Amino acid sequence: MIEIRDLVKRYGRTTAVDRLSFTVRPGRVTGFLGPNGAGKSTTMRVVLGLDAPTSGEALVDGRRYASIRGPLHHVGALLDASAVHPGRSGYDHLRALGRTNGIGPRRVAGLLEEVGLAGAARKRVKEFSLGMRQRLGIAAALLGDPAVLMLDEPVNGLDPEGVRWIRGLLRSLAAEGRTVLLSSHLMSEMELTADHLVIIDGGRLVADSPMRDLVPDGGSLEDVYLRLTARGPAREAAR
Amino acid sequence: MNALLSAEWLKLRSVRSTYALVAVAASAVLLAALLTWPAVVAWDRQPPEVRARWQGIPIEQYLVFVPQLCMGVLGVLAVSSEYATGLIRPTLVAVPGRIGVLAAKAAVVGAAGLVTGEAAVFGTFAVSRALIGDRPFPNHTSPLPEELPLLLCLGLSVAVFAVVGLALGAATRSTAAGVVCVVAVLFVIPVIVSYLPGPWNVRVGAVMLPDLPTQLVGAVFDTGITTGPWARVAFLPPGWAWAVLAAYVVAPLAAAAVLLRRRDA
Repeated sequence: MIEIRDLVKRYGRTTAVDRLSFTVRPGRVTGFLGPNGAGKSTTMRVVLGLDAPTSGEALVDGRRYASIRGPLHHVGALLDASAVHPGRSGYDHLRALGRTNGIGPRRVAGLLEEVGLAGAARKRVKEFSLGMRQRLGIAAALLGDPAVLMLDEPVNGLDPEGVRWIRGLLRSLAAEGRTVLLSSHLMSEMELTADHLVIIDGGRLVADSPMRDLVPDGGSLEDVYLRLTARGPAREAAR
Repeated sequence: MNALLSAEWLKLRSVRSTYALVAVAASAVLLAALLTWPAVVAWDRQPPEVRARWQGIPIEQYLVFVPQLCMGVLGVLAVSSEYATGLIRPTLVAVPGRIGVLAAKAAVVGAAGLVTGEAAVFGTFAVSRALIGDRPFPNHTSPLPEELPLLLCLGLSVAVFAVVGLALGAATRSTAAGVVCVVAVLFVIPVIVSYLPGPWNVRVGAVMLPDLPTQLVGAVFDTGITTGPWARVAFLPPGWAWAVLAAYVVAPLAAAAVLLRRRDA
């Protein structure tokens, strides 16, 4: 479970997140939506203890991230698939991350098999396509078999087979009772994957409800989303 | 801590830049041969009165800047490459205790710097003395046991450069800025200081990192060089020199630790 409580994050004069509160519950895929600059990535960074909140708090299973020992066993995250040293092999990248949390080479090898990188793992990451980097990032998130997963745009660059694979993976992880927070701009994909939606805009909560309540039968998530996040008069009219 | 050390060690040895920097650092041995050989040939051709005026900086001191620079850059890269690629975030997600990450990196690059530095220094010493043979080259005649403390300290200074580089990389979060700072500590600032009016050239020069190894062991050489990158001052007693060397490790790391804790990653 991820709890965001009255979270405020300012960078200088810019307010990235403005009194945001919501809870991500286990057992379902929660879609995290919002326009560019809405504060999604900032919120995720605060949850992971990378950025310090200006006020408010973000808790994982009731605890601040920094107080979790061996955090990869509790939380898995993919923030940016390109955050890998291009000269290091995928295998060594995962092994170095794993070692910090006592995760051994057998788990790494098994995961590489699971994400479909077993053949390419000894290559340097600079030779990887974006889709392969996404798979490597997903493997990194799954290293510690965590109960909480946060993925920022994991579908970008994946081929259709990969898109279907990750959809099935996320749905099965949620079905196992894990907490899955998925951020994406791909509305059609989100419609197929998420059970629950949290939509933010300008750092504030716009919607927090089950998919079926938000999107009427025969309607599309894209229409609902664009109406909710429209600027100015259109948004006022929608309310 | 063991887990962190082994993870950082794996990171260091799994990228090519590490091997490139160690190879360039080791090239000091080759350079020593290339510089000593013509000097030996020239020496043999000179009449005694010219030999009497001959002066030479001990070659291992002359060339120690090569491993110092390489390992300083290794230290910078150990952290700046993580900022450049964004890898610092997965690293800190896996290990939220940022000071532990910095300490593990410092230990690993320090150890790599020490081994590389000692190997390069002893290599340059061995190769130059082998070429010089029993010729009475000034500053190149004392036997190994007599030179041992200084050689060890020169190698140690390479490890200190690696740690200073790491701290500078962590503070600047940029490879370019970190490398510029290493070059400033190694060359630019000491050279400027050597041109200060006396006695400040000596007083300030004494705390420059490249000037510390000789002062650590109280070694004094009269090379006649008082300005430029190879000017060496002897001002601090060894005890103080050791204190200054320790400060070069502790102060930049402490500053980097404070910045790492305070700033958003």
